[in-house]
Amino acid sequence: MTTKETTFRQGGRQVYFRHPLPLFRFFFGTWLVGLSGLLLSCSSASTLTEQSETAATSKDYFAEKTAVRYAKGFRIKYFNNYKLVEIMNPFEQKADTIRYVLVQRGTPHPDGYAKSQIIEIPLRSLVAMSSMHVGLVGFLEAEDILVGLGNLKYVSSSKVIQRIEAKKVVEVGKDQTIDEERLITMHPDLLMAVGSPVSRMDRYRTLTDAGVPVLINSEWVETTPLGRAEWVKLMAALLNQEKAVNQKFGALEKEYNRLVKLTRNIARKPTIISGMNSKDAWFVPDGDSYMTRFFLDAGATYPWSGTKTTGSLPLNFEAVYPIALTADCWLNVGITNINSKQDILAKDARYADFKAFKTGQVYGYSKRVNARGSNDFWESGAVNPQLVLADMIKILHPDLLPKHELVYYKQIL
Amino acid sequence: MDNSATEIQHSWWLRRRLMIGVLVVLAVFFFLLDIALGSVSIPLGEVTRILFGQESEQVAWLYIVQKIRLPKAITAVLVGCGLSVSGLQMQTLFRNPLAGPSELGITAGAGLGVAAVMLGSGSSASLYAIRQLGVSGSWLLVVMASLGSALVLLLVLLIAGRLRDNVVLLIVGVMVGTITLSVVSIWQYFSQPEQLQEYLMWTFGSLGGVIGYHLSVLSGVVLVGLVLAFSSSKALNVLLLGENYARSMGLTVGRTRLLILASTSLLTGSITAFCGPIGFVGIAVPHITRSLLNTSDHRVLIPTTCLVGTILMLVCDSIAQLPGTQAVLPINIVTSMLGAPVVIWIIVSRNNLRSSFS
Repeated sequence: MTTKETTFRQGGRQVYFRHPLPLFRFFFGTWLVGLSGLLLSCSSASTLTEQSETAATSKDYFAEKTAVRYAKGFRIKYFNNYKLVEIMNPFEQKADTIRYVLVQRGTPHPDGYAKSQIIEIPLRSLVAMSSMHVGLVGFLEAEDILVGLGNLKYVSSSKVIQRIEAKKVVEVGKDQTIDEERLITMHPDLLMAVGSPVSRMDRYRTLTDAGVPVLINSEWVETTPLGRAEWVKLMAALLNQEKAVNQKFGALEKEYNRLVKLTRNIARKPTIISGMNSKDAWFVPDGDSYMTRFFLDAGATYPWSGTKTTGSLPLNFEAVYPIALTADCWLNVGITNINSKQDILAKDARYADFKAFKTGQVYGYSKRVNARGSNDFWESGAVNPQLVLADMIKILHPDLLPKHELVYYKQIL
Repeated sequence: MDNSATEIQHSWWLRRRLMIGVLVVLAVFFFLLDIALGSVSIPLGEVTRILFGQESEQVAWLYIVQKIRLPKAITAVLVGCGLSVSGLQMQTLFRNPLAGPSELGITAGAGLGVAAVMLGSGSSASLYAIRQLGVSGSWLLVVMASLGSALVLLLVLLIAGRLRDNVVLLIVGVMVGTITLSVVSIWQYFSQPEQLQEYLMWTFGSLGGVIGYHLSVLSGVVLVGLVLAFSSSKALNVLLLGENYARSMGLTVGRTRLLILASTSLLTGSITAFCGPIGFVGIAVPHITRSLLNTSDHRVLIPTTCLVGTILMLVCDSIAQLPGTQAVLPINIVTSMLGAPVVIWIIVSRNNLRSSFS
């Protein structure tokens, strides 16, 4: 599972629309850069007017503030009665940041932000488009604000499932086909969308024009697990929950760093492979992927940790095969739910040659897949990197964490 | 006069024999080349030693040659023969130079069958579940894909029977293809993400991943299809002269049609089921072969088409491997890039067509 690719994470699983051609991706990239240049030249004039920030009130409404330390994708600035959130568009230069003005409900809107979207906080209602977003809400125990989801099927949180059963959450359609009429009628305080090169703001123009703020969450471009999890601070800023998030995220961060220290000086670092071949391409997380960071933090030797690309690496089977024959452990098996070695062999009999397959060191992250078919790894797993890391350490170095029970991972037998 | 005519005939006969000899050598050469090239560089000596059943100093090399490259090269040969011959049969049957499995929507029909298995019947019938059924699994896929292609071919036959016109036939093919694709799109829309993933990967086309049992199934079905094609070569010759003429020669046109229909559906269906839609081979190879041999005798054309198709697919696969890199191009892209110019050339040099499709 890599970070920099067009993923449509629909609930428990992800659909990858990857260009099989790096070349194509390159052209697409240059095209995007070219386009951003155009956009930039058009918008630079308007951003100048926004520089004159005016304090709308003199009272400071936000006693507790939060600071972003790991995430590269967003920033929060605090003013008396509003917060300024900047979200970087990962596909373009830094200049292409989308700004959102989070204004305390009932206070006057600040001047000078004509081009930015205004979001009134704290949110009372939210429509979320990905299971990661549900994870963010769950982390802050704010499930009550959820009123809509892109897909009702892929939910792991029991509280949200209860709300769905009580008809308090409606389905608003998948990524590509959002039910705009319904959304405008519902008029939620915010729609949180998944950022990707194909889902630029224009697609939500209808909604924003109708007064429904749309925030593009591109958490999946983060290159570290902590950076990815830190997007809970954005959710907290939307809910005025800075105090709670500072405590909770602080604890999580401490635990994660404690685990990293455990494996830092270990002598034996088992070699791992990740993912699975599908037809002619085996996509492995590249050196910039948060998944690779997990592997290294868990004390693994990962053959592709030094590669730098702008996405996952599509390798052919032959390129992975010699490494896979001798690798000690095989993680993240299968995008689909693979529950037994038989399932793996049914995909391709050649997997039987892998050392990890023979020794039984094969693991997938499908332990918490519920009856609906939703995988909690993408929901609560996204905001609990310390648990994911503990799972990996338990798999690779069982003696370091003798008491830990696997949370998201399970052995494929 | 008579003498010179026989001399010309004789010289052509010699040329043909020479040509076929050269093609055989080329096919063997490219087969070995395809096995020798890949992202992992293995010395040529080692490759040949492994192919002759000797041990290699490195286990990984042995595995790569035996379990990855050899099955892939065999698949390339099967695909090259099967698609080219089914294209040749279609061109003769419709007496239309622009006929071919992907052009007439036959491949799309096979895709419809595959989609029915992968997407159509809900989560229980994803390919992965199908494969768990083992035997029936891959057979089901082949049967459905062949049925899908037969269905489309029948439809096109019915319409083309009424209107003998190249352009009309192509338009019908395109339309039928569009209809099948839209049905697939509806299924895609209501499918689970991971089924979609499976289907999307399938649409890119791939020669890898057909191993062991699947390879035997594919080989078996393609062989049956080819045997049917060979057995109808005389009938195909007569068909070229027009149906009325064929009837007067005592050919039962209906039965011949059925035979050709069965052969093309089996070939296109099975290949599409396992390797995804692979374009342009079916339309381009028969034309290349005809221009090489300057004949329209199917007894010579069919085996030579197999040879040319084999060479083309092996070359395409070698290119798709992007030797020296770790990436791989979808085979469909390479065949299209090589095949499309051929089709353009066909359309531009129509004189060449008139001779074969009087």
